[in-house]
Amino acid sequence: MIIATFIAKNALRNKRRAALTILSVAVSCALLVTLLTLQREMTIPPESEAASLRVIARNKVSLAQPLPAKQLAVIDKIPGIVAVSPFSFFGGNFREETVTSFAQFAVDPARFQNIIVEGKIAEGSYDNFIKDRNSCLVGADTLKRYGLKVGDQMRFTGTFYPANLDLRIAAVYQGTVDDRNVFFHHKLLDELLGDPGTVGTWYLRVESADVANDVIARVNKAFENTSAEVRAETERAFQMSFMSMLGNVKVLIGSISTVVVFTLVLVTVSTMSMAIRERFRELAILKALGFRRRELFSFILAESFGLAALGAFVGIGGAWAFWTFLDLQTLTRGFLVYFEVTPRIMATGATVAALLGLFSAIAPSIAVARMSVVKGLKTLD
Amino acid sequence: MALPLKYNFRNVIVRWRSTLATVLGIALVVAVFVLLRALARGIEASSANTGDARNILVVRKGSQAESGSIVTREHFRTIQYLDEIARNERGEPIISAELVLIVSAPRRNGTGEANTLIRGVTPRGMELRPQVKLVDGRWFVPGKREVVVARRLAARFAGFEIGGVIKSGQDRLAVVGHFDAAGSAFDSESWMDADEARSIFDRENYSSILLRPADATAATNLITRLERDKRLALRAEREVDYYSKQTMTAVPIKILAGLLGTAMSIGAVFAAMNTMYASVASRTREVGTLRVLGYSRRAIVLCFLIEGALLAAMGGVVGCLLALPLNGYATGTMDFQSFAETVFQFRVTPDLMLMGLAFSVIIGVAGSLLPALRAARLPVIVALKSI
Repeated sequence: MIIATFIAKNALRNKRRAALTILSVAVSCALLVTLLTLQREMTIPPESEAASLRVIARNKVSLAQPLPAKQLAVIDKIPGIVAVSPFSFFGGNFREETVTSFAQFAVDPARFQNIIVEGKIAEGSYDNFIKDRNSCLVGADTLKRYGLKVGDQMRFTGTFYPANLDLRIAAVYQGTVDDRNVFFHHKLLDELLGDPGTVGTWYLRVESADVANDVIARVNKAFENTSAEVRAETERAFQMSFMSMLGNVKVLIGSISTVVVFTLVLVTVSTMSMAIRERFRELAILKALGFRRRELFSFILAESFGLAALGAFVGIGGAWAFWTFLDLQTLTRGFLVYFEVTPRIMATGATVAALLGLFSAIAPSIAVARMSVVKGLKTLD
Repeated sequence: MALPLKYNFRNVIVRWRSTLATVLGIALVVAVFVLLRALARGIEASSANTGDARNILVVRKGSQAESGSIVTREHFRTIQYLDEIARNERGEPIISAELVLIVSAPRRNGTGEANTLIRGVTPRGMELRPQVKLVDGRWFVPGKREVVVARRLAARFAGFEIGGVIKSGQDRLAVVGHFDAAGSAFDSESWMDADEARSIFDRENYSSILLRPADATAATNLITRLERDKRLALRAEREVDYYSKQTMTAVPIKILAGLLGTAMSIGAVFAAMNTMYASVASRTREVGTLRVLGYSRRAIVLCFLIEGALLAAMGGVVGCLLALPLNGYATGTMDFQSFAETVFQFRVTPDLMLMGLAFSVIIGVAGSLLPALRAARLPVIVALKSI
């Protein structure tokens, strides 16, 4: 216990420096954890069991190219599919907003019911949604964000389609990975556009995960060599491809994280060196008393490790608490819903801090090991 | 009387080990900040570079990007013969109805597919955009399923080299040339014949109309005329105004730059404080001596503030130098308005570097304020006695 007290006293001898070191390590750790989480959120879409059974079929040319509505008859006959519905992104701006802050999709309500099976109706009734062509199904998050209730009207200005929507809220759903979307009748969209006979994409649910790949192959094959070739993929693969379009952003965040880690190392190493240099005389006395290099190294290591660990605890814990207890959706105005600091990311942060503690003890230890006792005793600084 | 600057400079040099660590730390913070701003600047620059002040772009009311706009053939016929539109030497109105499409293509580095923009243009449309110049190969011949690709875009997508093929469903488009659009938004596009694009992609209508009014009065008249015509539901605006609004993609990057800059600078302030406190502590006797020699407390505070600023400014310079090599480096991301890949370059401009430098000096001053005050408050006798 005496040695432990000795180390702790040494570490906290210059309280201001100890606090500054801990704080700078904490800020950097918090930043690192945040960046890693951001990178994860941007590259891995949230996973759900129901999503692995869902398939999205889009035009092979690109997502922006519509598909003929008559394809439905063909898809209906493909074995292994439980339900299929048209799924067209409307891209409307809500009320007076100038950006599309949440998505609206045109679907076939009766068919769609069997596709988002994990969604629970929180308010209103799904039957009312099916019955009323001018109604919509709204995610609970969006309802809460705008303070809406069942029966309210939602107005959207179309940015992709030359049409505006005025929908009555018939039902509210929750329990899916993204409770922000608004769903409405595809028939209404067709009507507004003068029946173009097209849909954006097809959204389907397969019987089981085992047959998913077969179904995808069958759908793709069914429209091969037609004027509208189809590219079907699982919902997850679809989201991944969307995120891969962000391109170099992932590399960018990765390199910033590296820079943050490097800065962290610099700061801690410099502080540790300062702390040791200041104490050269004492360490020389310890040496003269008969402490061996190994023991001196462990003193230094324990001190730097302790400071780094404290910093990591404050930083990582702070970041976790901040992102967990913050109402992200209100803060980012619906841009971010999930910002989950996973145990894995926290472990990465902790590992970096541990290595940091180890690394920053090396340089001062070498200096101490090399110094001669006589010279050390003479040092004034 | 202030202390000579030489004193600060020598002090910074003599403690080179902690100086080096602090300078490098601040340099990295400044480099990250400048680079992120340079990225946002690049996106804005590609929009700002686009368009001719004399041209007018017509899109559907409510659409946010050309790719999401629809202009029917009837609309085109109505607008085509309006008096306000200038005519060329052959007497044809200078107007171009165009189609903007999104085609998914594989990336060159094998990391999957991304959307790219294809623009169906007309000869008039090419005359209206003189900044687009052919640099390699030849222009497309209508009816032969040929396409000319921006050179910068070609560097990022497989099959976009001359002789390559862009696949779109069942159709194959042969790449016959590369153009350079002088850093404008057209550097993210591929061009082909408008009517051919309509037939291949099965589109009845156009996306947008680009035209040249006869003069400035005609331009204003035309904009109000189209705006007032409720039957058309179209929006006409100067081409430059339209593109200056297409910078939504830069907003999140700017926010990221601000957040990261703030968070990292807080860390850097702590680091600078640590260095400066150590610097003050080891010079306690010196400070006492200076006070005895007659330097005022204010001079001491100023001295340490200058030293901190000097230290940080060195970091700032190094940071800017670190960021500089990336100037002009081309990269791309998904444009949030067109949902297609947009190609742009990092722009490390002098004003950005100045901003980075100012940023570093602020870090330095913030980090050395408390240590400087501490140095000034030391009682002279105690300071002189300390070892």
